[in-house]
Amino acid sequence: MFSMFVLWIIVFVGIARRWRYTALIVLATLAWTIVLLNWHMTDPIPLNF
Amino acid sequence: MLTTLLDGINGRSVVISRAINIAALLGLLVVLSGSLFLQFGVGEPPCPLCLIQRSGMIGLAVGPIMNLLWGLRPAHYALSILGAIAGGAGSVRQILLHIADPGDPGYGPAVLGFHLYTWAFITFLVGTIGCALLLLWTTPFEAGDGGVLHQRGIQRWIALSAIIWVGIDALLIGLAVLPECGLGMCPDNPESSFSLGDMGGITFILGTGVTSFLLGFLASRRLGDSEQPDLR
Repeated sequence: MFSMFVLWIIVFVGIARRWRYTALIVLATLAWTIVLLNWHMTDPIPLNF
Repeated sequence: MLTTLLDGINGRSVVISRAINIAALLGLLVVLSGSLFLQFGVGEPPCPLCLIQRSGMIGLAVGPIMNLLWGLRPAHYALSILGAIAGGAGSVRQILLHIADPGDPGYGPAVLGFHLYTWAFITFLVGTIGCALLLLWTTPFEAGDGGVLHQRGIQRWIALSAIIWVGIDALLIGLAVLPECGLGMCPDNPESSFSLGDMGGITFILGTGVTSFLLGFLASRRLGDSEQPDLR
């Protein structure tokens, strides 16, 4: 889950430095967030938290 | 004369739209600061779904940040809406988990009768509706706004401070994940971590805010007097 926030820091650097592809990094970060949510939901251990 | 009038209307709409974006960022900062207070002040470590929702909150904040720094664009609101959907998916998942069992007391403390994941869902919903309404108002997009960096004044200072504060919060959330979860998935029901206490937590949150406003002030001063050349 640490990787999710590393990607957000890269997004912030991209915004500050006006990188052209920052929006794509945002989309990738959001997609990664959904992937992590999906992994959490499909974990065989009963997850209530 | 008509051109002057239209320029005036466009310029005013940009200032109002920027103020709405700053207010949205400050609103998100209240939510992010509240979650950091619970983590560092009360000692409630975040669960995996809480971290998903925090990621969504940062995604929701990206649109206003880009609008303020790069200029008002519909694409920036689109990114915020997608951030709200990602975070909203996490909060809906957590709400559904806890309403499935009627005897379930819910996760974490309740604030004004709602648990934090319910408040997060309300925030994502309000954010989505707000972005949709701002997308319907097309006048600020027609002004060719170049962002607050070219506009001297208090709006630039507050905008930069709020943006820096969101950045600091994102960094703190990310760094705090490392000792709790390492590089993998976080534990489902994490053990209580270290706590600064209520007063320590409030001081910590206020400290990040004051630091952000000081850095924002310095950044705004350093940018100098360049007037907005991009507004047409």
